[in-house]
Amino acid sequence: MWLPLMGLIIGVIIGLLTDIRIPAEYSNYLSIAILAALDTLFGGIRAQLQNIYDEKVFVSGFFFNILLAASLAFLGVHLGVDLYLAAVFAFGVRLFQNIAVIRRILLTKWTSSGEK
Amino acid sequence: MGSQKNVYFTITASIIGFMVAIQFQTVSEPVVRDTRDTWELRNDLMSEKEIESELLQEIQTFEDTLAKYEDEREQSKGKLLKETLNELKNEAGMTDVSGPGITLTIRPIINEIGREVQMAYISPSLLQRLLNELNMYGAKYVSIDEQRVISTTVIRDIGTVTKIDGHSLNRLPIVIKVITEDEEKAERLFKRMEISPVVEDFNMDSLKVELSNPEENITIPGYKDPIRIRYMEPADNGVGGDG
Repeated sequence: MWLPLMGLIIGVIIGLLTDIRIPAEYSNYLSIAILAALDTLFGGIRAQLQNIYDEKVFVSGFFFNILLAASLAFLGVHLGVDLYLAAVFAFGVRLFQNIAVIRRILLTKWTSSGEK
Repeated sequence: MGSQKNVYFTITASIIGFMVAIQFQTVSEPVVRDTRDTWELRNDLMSEKEIESELLQEIQTFEDTLAKYEDEREQSKGKLLKETLNELKNEAGMTDVSGPGITLTIRPIINEIGREVQMAYISPSLLQRLLNELNMYGAKYVSIDEQRVISTTVIRDIGTVTKIDGHSLNRLPIVIKVITEDEEKAERLFKRMEISPVVEDFNMDSLKVELSNPEENITIPGYKDPIRIRYMEPADNGVGGDG
């Protein structure tokens, strides 16, 4: 449980240390990619808690979602439509749903363990 | 929780962390403090102004080009026609013209007693003779009492009044303006008219013609009424004309 958190912190530290900056016009893509990745991560945690976790689904979903979101944003820029908003909306909604499910599962676990 | 699962989660989380860090760094650019002194600021201002003037010049160039294009378009379509129309109008006497020439004033003669002879009548034939004389000696544009004389002008008696294109010539003095090709010709015309027998003929009708010295700039008004041509049709090419 602590390992993913450690990974997150390590990733942040590496990112800060390498001092990489991407051009401002690409920050849109990166932000949506982050959103997609977060969505996948929470989806994975939820699946894990619901015991329907599948490695292939998780890993493929992670990269596929990132690519899809970035390409959607790219398409939106070239069509002149803010298509990335669609991705933001979809991922945002799913993020909230996943977190809600995780919270409920954790709550039930906690209450059931408290009853015991 | 299997260890393989944890590894995946860890890798994913670290990737996310990496991306978040990059995004964070990109979005929050460090604030650079402005430490330029007055002279550096002045230099910067100078260079910016140079850029501004360059840009303004560019705008000027483009506007010039635009104006040129518009001009060209107008030229190609309408200007030639307009020019031709103006030339034709000029030729027909529809436009005001000015140039060197002389003016003739027709007044009643003052008789021996010192009173003006009240006779405001100029016979059409006399006027026509005067016109012929003027045309013979190089008159280019003529107006009689501010009435432009063109090729279709009629001078005739209607009732007892001499009329030129419907305008009555019953109020003396009458001013005849003549424009010639150039000042030299105006001079020549003036000399010719000084010794012209027509002036004598006017005397017989109790009128006298006063000649003004050649002037550099005389303005003659254009013909005001529309020119009506009833009995005229274009000649066939090579039949009527000399083509």
